[in-house]
Amino acid sequence: MTIDLHSLMAPYALDALDADERATYEVHLEQCDDCRSELAGFLETSSRLGELEEVAPPPAMRAEVLAAARRTAQQRPVTVLAPRRLRHRVPQLVAAAAVALALAGGTATVVEHQRASDLQASGDKMTSVLTASDVRTSSEKATEGGTLRVMSSKSHDAAVVVGSALPQLDDDQVYQVWAMHDGTPRPAGLIGAKPGMVYVSKVAGADAFAVTVEPKGGSERPTTDPLAVTPVTA
Amino acid sequence: MPRGRIGRKGRDVSESPLRAVPTMAPPEAAPDAAELLQRTARGDEAAFAALYDELAGSVLGLARRVIRDPARAEEVAQEVFLQVWQTAVRFDPARGSAKSWILTLAHRRAVDAVRHDQAATNRDMAYDWSPGVDHDEVSETVTVRLEHEQVRRCLSSLTDLQREAITLAYYQGYTYAEVATVLDANPATVKTRMRDGLIRLRDCLGVEA
Ligand SMILES: [Zn+2]
Repeated sequence: MTIDLHSLMAPYALDALDADERATYEVHLEQCDDCRSELAGFLETSSRLGELEEVAPPPAMRAEVLAAARRTAQQRPVTVLAPRRLRHRVPQLVAAAAVALALAGGTATVVEHQRASDLQASGDKMTSVLTASDVRTSSEKATEGGTLRVMSSKSHDAAVVVGSALPQLDDDQVYQVWAMHDGTPRPAGLIGAKPGMVYVSKVAGADAFAVTVEPKGGSERPTTDPLAVTPVTA
Repeated sequence: MPRGRIGRKGRDVSESPLRAVPTMAPPEAAPDAAELLQRTARGDEAAFAALYDELAGSVLGLARRVIRDPARAEEVAQEVFLQVWQTAVRFDPARGSAKSWILTLAHRRAVDAVRHDQAATNRDMAYDWSPGVDHDEVSETVTVRLEHEQVRRCLSSLTDLQREAITLAYYQGYTYAEVATVLDANPATVKTRMRDGLIRLRDCLGVEA
């Protein structure tokens, strides 16, 4: 039996999921055509509930909003791996990462270091973890902002580790994930210069996951203090 | 649309060649919100201002409804518009209307604000409610001020549990698990009622699925 992620669509459309379920569902959403096609109508419906009362904004608010916009840079389209027709060519994972992590209010987030075929494969594996009946979620706030969330499944002996809203890094740095075994870190993958997510297999014995900033390409052992250590929920 | 604003302050209004344009031009449909939002995505500040004029009242009304505290609601409404400015490029007209997109952002932000603020006070509202809430009273306070006839009528066509599950979540910012506690119902049942209720609302409102 697997958790029915589709059943989270209605609560999602009403913003009635907690942060962990919301993140889990958003990953599912990018992989589930059924949900995507039905969600549009649900959101349109729920937003009608929000149209019931209009309140005249104070006049000063307009000027403040426009001034703030003038000072604020806009997001550019998410472009990764290939310059044209991304939506169709780039595997779902990229979109999933961008949606799950960027919708939360951060900037565009993509896994940049992997090849497209790897992304597709790891997207499938991620889905299997997220839909496992025994998936457990835990998260910790990172010291410099953002969170490190771990979704793990004993039956799959695997985990999906998600860094969201972590600070942007320089080009020559990456976020590296570590599986902590009794205080000993083992490399568990890179999530790129921007926060992203990584699939980790063979996690039996790992009691926590940590994330550090490492030089591009990653390190064999951590060279900086972890920004976050998220325990694995038993 | 710009007619009312041009020259509101400037003393040289009468000399402005712009002034005549809006009145002389043949009546033209105002650009719709989707177009304004797409122009906003390209950095068009005038389009963004027009979008603000069009939707600020709704966004603030929604934020007030969920957050209640007027000052906090204003703060959130401003954040919403800044987020609209920053992320307009993500709007996909194929996935829904611009108004819905913006109100969806606004609702999520309002709910997150409420949860954040309430986490600080241990969510005492939720605890106060749990010992045995009067179901009728809950839906009364939520629906009594509804102004929009159609939405109100459609909400009335739901079953009690559907309506309560939807309104507690949407207007109070409760998670479905909290709704389940408040209504003393099974969380799985609440999810189902939310779904059934949204489908019924959607069809009643004539929203294209
Ligand atoms: Zn689905």
